[in-house]
Amino acid sequence: MGGHVYRMERDRARFRDIVRGRLRQDLRKYLSTSELLGRQGKQTISIPIPQVELPRFRYGDNSGEGVGQGPGEEGDQMDGDGAEGAGSAGEQPGKHILEVEVDLAELAEMLGRELALPNIQPRGSRQLHTEGGRYTGIRTQGPDSLRHFRRTYRRALKRTIASGEWDPKDPRVVPMRDDQRFRSRRTHPEPESSAVIFHMMDVSGSMGREQKDIVRIKAFWIDTWLRSQYKNIEVVYIVHDAVAKVVDQEAFFHLRESGGTKISSAYELCLKQIQERYRPENWNIYPFHYSDGDNWSARDTARCVDLLREEILPCANQFCYGQVKSAYGSGQFKKDLDHALGHDEQVITTAIHSREGIAESIRAFLAEGR
Amino acid sequence: MATGGHLPAELRRQARVTEAAAREVGLDFFDVVFEMLDASDVNAVAAYGGFPVRYPSWRFGMDYERLQKGYDYGLSKIYELVINNDPTYAYLVRSNSMMEQKLVMAHVMGHADFFKHNVWFGPTQRSMVEQMGHHAARIRSFVEAHGQDTVERFLDIALGLDGLIDPYLPLRESRRSERQRATIQSRAERARLDFEQHWGDSAASTRPGPRPSRSAPTTPSSDDLPTFDVLGFLVEHARLPDWKVEILRIVRAEAYYFVPQRLTKIMNEGWASYWHSHLLTHGLLDPSEIVDFADCHAGATAVAPGQLNPYKLGIELFRHAHARGDDLFQLRRVHNDVSFIDHVVDEEFAQTNQLFVYRRNARTGKNVVVDRDWVTIKEQLLRELSWGGSPRIQLAEADADGEGGLLLVHQHEGRDLKLDEAGEQLKTLAQVWEGPVHLLTLEEGVGRRISTDGHEVSVIETTRAQDVCGGEESPQAS
Repeated sequence: MGGHVYRMERDRARFRDIVRGRLRQDLRKYLSTSELLGRQGKQTISIPIPQVELPRFRYGDNSGEGVGQGPGEEGDQMDGDGAEGAGSAGEQPGKHILEVEVDLAELAEMLGRELALPNIQPRGSRQLHTEGGRYTGIRTQGPDSLRHFRRTYRRALKRTIASGEWDPKDPRVVPMRDDQRFRSRRTHPEPESSAVIFHMMDVSGSMGREQKDIVRIKAFWIDTWLRSQYKNIEVVYIVHDAVAKVVDQEAFFHLRESGGTKISSAYELCLKQIQERYRPENWNIYPFHYSDGDNWSARDTARCVDLLREEILPCANQFCYGQVKSAYGSGQFKKDLDHALGHDEQVITTAIHSREGIAESIRAFLAEGR
Repeated sequence: MATGGHLPAELRRQARVTEAAAREVGLDFFDVVFEMLDASDVNAVAAYGGFPVRYPSWRFGMDYERLQKGYDYGLSKIYELVINNDPTYAYLVRSNSMMEQKLVMAHVMGHADFFKHNVWFGPTQRSMVEQMGHHAARIRSFVEAHGQDTVERFLDIALGLDGLIDPYLPLRESRRSERQRATIQSRAERARLDFEQHWGDSAASTRPGPRPSRSAPTTPSSDDLPTFDVLGFLVEHARLPDWKVEILRIVRAEAYYFVPQRLTKIMNEGWASYWHSHLLTHGLLDPSEIVDFADCHAGATAVAPGQLNPYKLGIELFRHAHARGDDLFQLRRVHNDVSFIDHVVDEEFAQTNQLFVYRRNARTGKNVVVDRDWVTIKEQLLRELSWGGSPRIQLAEADADGEGGLLLVHQHEGRDLKLDEAGEQLKTLAQVWEGPVHLLTLEEGVGRRISTDGHEVSVIETTRAQDVCGGEESPQAS
């Protein structure tokens, strides 16, 4: 029966190609919506796409009449809404949303192509080579301790049946030497590179819902891209108003805070994390900070610049600051950063006015390939 | 004889027992061949419409994806899959319990009997498995010759038109006497003769452009119009290369093969359920299986609040007819869903089964029970089921405005079309016809003419539509 499935795999692959084509076509749209957030699994992301339907002559909405079955007086509202009558049952495909699983790696590749992003060159000295020694191979010789029982048994069983010796009443299978299969170690050197991403977000009162959404969408895509570049990646989420704290992903994407803004608190916390857990010798470090550009005081801004220049920049691959325009934000922080550190190629700052600017801002952050 | 090369001995035996019991009560069918499949294979076969040999298309991949997701999440599970063919093929799911296998087998016998004896299935191709294989081979050869993308694009267009057929045509044609049929040439020949009569051999087609692949150009003859068989009309008259015509022909043949299943969904499921219930409770079940069977049967015939379940409605219709003293075998032979319901539904039936008419409340968006009068219920039911549940679209003219355009008429029966999608459908039609296409319909009582040249769609108000669309039941030669 495997034949059926084999044929189906081709049609299915074709369908997925079509879906990917759509996704690629519409990637810009996804770059500015929060639709994909929270949909990623470990390796894949499920993307909702409107079902690809061929147009047909169909009845429209004004015919909201039908025959049903069940209790109820005339004038009663029916339970279970959206009920369909007999004529339409099964005939109207309706507006199905199909969820399609796409590899995160593939999504990253689409992103890379759409925004023309270069691959990141991990800093040389940190590149460790490890022998990937996993027993994933199979061979015909080996020590008994590595014998692959299932493969061996299966071969023996096949041979027994094929030779007509199989007796269901006495289902004995005796493996011969030729049936034996052993696990073998496959080795290939792999660059062992790790990276840590710090997403720092200003959640003070002036950051509205829309601003936070923009930040979240950006963070999602940056994660997606960097994940495709590093084998081992960790993400640290930091939110701050006047004080900073580390939160989990869930909280980062849903938290609503309010209060004043002291940006240095976040940078200090980030630095503390680097020193305690992510030593620059072992990690590629990517701090991202997003805010609406308001800070508590010029003195705190000066403190931020100091922290960046003296402590963070020397150990990070690059530092990115994304300023999201809000109704209240002055946008002063970006000016200050540009003034103090604008000459430093490790520092990238962008200003986003609306969702349409997200793609460009992501490109600016990642275009250096650092 | 029921065979089953791939079945375990116990199921083979069970198939023989079930078949004997079915024949005992008077069911009659072609050979029934059971095949055993894994759940995911069943989903794959179902996505191919029951034919694993079917031509390649991404659409089957999409259907499979949906079925498989439904299965993985435990939302849906396919129990039975029967193919109208001689022999009749049916699939059993490996993971089912013995009781479920018995139920499915008995149910399948009901379908198999229905396929063989219901008059609407009479004209269907009985070697469809083979036929589908031929179709697939043809389409693969087109892919080799013209490339996957080109063929796929046209196949999608053709599939989009597969609803534009006349569900009553096969039966009407098969009812013509043998003698008559012998004297009437093929449609193509007839059309060619008409053409020569009308125009003589010096006349050129009124439409511009050569028709590269056909030996003799045909012009729509008055015989062909008006027609609901738009697809058939295109096969004969569209200016297309041979391979595209062949694809239209294939899509049309498959559409006509499936159409009786749409016309008899309620009857067919009702008949199969009636007999599985009868057979299983009259000796096929082990006493220990009764409770599980009752549970399973109740699940299949369950009615969600305010919904109609064809299994439930169908089985109750047959039980009601039986109680009235009707000859069930005669009923299953001569009716389709519409005529069957017209024949069986009466006041008592509507009451016992708690039928009602609902209407969506425009303000709340909720459905509200509006009527429990059995006559209204019956009328509503028949209206919904007529024409297989699809809008009735007739091709009226093939040279509209003297510009070689197609003119379609929507025979409006109180339900408006979805206009934007109709416009898209017209576009695909215009691409095949390579000329303008128009549709007359009504929107909330106002006449509309939708026109397209294949690129732009325009909608204008016209009083002409009121005249031609508004009529009651259209005359139906049968």
